[in-house]
Amino acid sequence: MFLAIKEMLHEKLRYSLIVVLIFLVSYLLIILTGLATGLANLNKAAINEWDASSIVLNSDSEGRLQQSFLSQDEVASLPNNGTRISQYSTLVKSENGLKENTQLVGLDSKSFIFKKLKITSGSKNIRNNAGVVSDKFKSDGFKIGDHLLVANSSLRIKITGFTPRATLSALPVVYISPDTIQPLNKGVTNAVVFKNKLKNSKIPKGTNQLSISSFIKKLPGYSAQQLTFDFMIAFLYIIILIVISIFLYILTVQKLPNLGVLKAQGVSTQYLILSTLFQSFIISVIGVIIAIILGEITAITLPSEVPIVIDKSNIIVTGIGIIIMSLLGALIPIRQIAKVDPYKIIGG
Amino acid sequence: MSNLIFESVTKVFGEGSSKYVALENINFKAESGQLILVVGPSGSGKTTFLTIAGGLQTPTEGDVKINDSTIKSLSEKQQTKLRLEKIGFVLQSYNLVPFLTVEEQFKLVDKLKKQNLTEQKMHELLSDLGLLELLKKYPNQLSGGQKQRVAIARALYTDPDYILADEPTAALDTDRSMKVIELLRDLAHKRNKIIIVVTHDLRLKNTADKVYQIIDGKMQMIN
Ligand SMILES: Nc1ncnc2c1ncn2[C@@H]1O[C@H](COP(=O)(O)OP(=O)(O)OP(=O)(O)O)[C@@H](O)[C@H]1O
Ligand SMILES: [Mg+2]
Repeated sequence: MFLAIKEMLHEKLRYSLIVVLIFLVSYLLIILTGLATGLANLNKAAINEWDASSIVLNSDSEGRLQQSFLSQDEVASLPNNGTRISQYSTLVKSENGLKENTQLVGLDSKSFIFKKLKITSGSKNIRNNAGVVSDKFKSDGFKIGDHLLVANSSLRIKITGFTPRATLSALPVVYISPDTIQPLNKGVTNAVVFKNKLKNSKIPKGTNQLSISSFIKKLPGYSAQQLTFDFMIAFLYIIILIVISIFLYILTVQKLPNLGVLKAQGVSTQYLILSTLFQSFIISVIGVIIAIILGEITAITLPSEVPIVIDKSNIIVTGIGIIIMSLLGALIPIRQIAKVDPYKIIGG
Repeated sequence: MSNLIFESVTKVFGEGSSKYVALENINFKAESGQLILVVGPSGSGKTTFLTIAGGLQTPTEGDVKINDSTIKSLSEKQQTKLRLEKIGFVLQSYNLVPFLTVEEQFKLVDKLKKQNLTEQKMHELLSDLGLLELLKKYPNQLSGGQKQRVAIARALYTDPDYILADEPTAALDTDRSMKVIELLRDLAHKRNKIIIVVTHDLRLKNTADKVYQIIDGKMQMIN
């Protein structure tokens, strides 16, 4: 790709400008997808940790855990390998004044969800008003052995262990036993979670089985938030496509006479097209790599309150996306190259 | 033996009231070992003739044959190959790639085609054309005449059987023009090439083996 490289080296300013543009848009894309992932995780991380495949809720609940109340009969007629979930959102305080909005989740210590929970420190014990809590508490200054005072109640929960990635609807989760949560929610079971999907015949009337992924989509605000991000991300892809198209178009128009002569001299159209594709590929790869490096640095330097998660899949998807866009952006210039008639340029 | 034949070639541009006959019923034959000059006033059809000879345009009527095969019956790929390997074009303008140095103009050819002039032959050519000091320069650092000489060297570099040159001496002084024409004539005579030079430079008339004149699209041999 002699021609392509020589041209880029000779026209450093022009090509650097495109690289900078691609870099800026890619950077924005990486940050946005990072935020989208981060915020999504805040909403659903705890559910992912459960590693379940379906959830049974009250039919009238619209998929919302908080609005779902299962009767004892309904719970009793479901297979007993499910995990019964009771949920209660509230404010908790420590004895030395730390505060945290939280989701209390009541479940049985023999349930598969509880058995799955990982512990980063402490022990996995929820007997006698003990609780295994999200490690968000730890980063906010809570310690093993601290007591959580539940607002508007005399309940005190003792922290016995920290568990990672335990957030639900952006709030840290406190796992406690059904007995502990009982005085707060009057012993209501909000949902039953299953490791495997149930046959429809096993689902009692008045209840509704949702796959975990559609349950997540129905978390309050979740879909709206993700859609907003998807929208912005899609727009950025379109912008980058247009920007690259315009740039390459202008560059190509400027050199059409030379391309015409090269064709007259026997340089094949294919060589010229590959040359342009190659340039497009190179500039997008350089732009994307700089964006990835800066994106990672940004993610590290941002305060931990900013929920940004730049993981491998984000980087791969964004990188490939941008490279595809820039190759697509070369399509219009390619058409011009294919169309240029040497004679039109020479016929002076 | 190479040859280039025009059989009753007519080229018409446009249609209806804007119809313009640029070349009219041209019969022409060139054989290896000849330097042929085509002269004529501006707008008479010289460039049109040359581009049809090189297969950049197709005639409206008639056929052009190179080495006994009709150009228009060749596929696009074959035509590209023909231009790369057999024909050396020196055009009226834009001959050089602006972002390549003189030296790299030749390197580009190397990337596309093997077996170009040997280093020694190339050195001779460059020195004949007075280009040795210019190898590291970009086209925009060259004068018009220098560019033209580089374009000639570029066309000769592939060692083509046919050289089609459109006003290659337009920007050169008399001395240089004569030198370039002599170089081309030597190539024709000693290396058995077909060299067609379009010019309105009548100083060159006596150097050629044949001289044709085009006036209003009609061609006749005058010498
Ligand atoms: N694509 C075209 N469409 C219409 N008319 C054309 C086209 N190309 C050339 N012509 C006309 O054909 C005639 C011959 O053009 P040509 O370029 O061959 O002239 P020329 O002899 O090379 O002139 P010059 O010495 O000025 O270069 C001109 O009158 C020109 O206007
Ligand atoms: Mg002309």
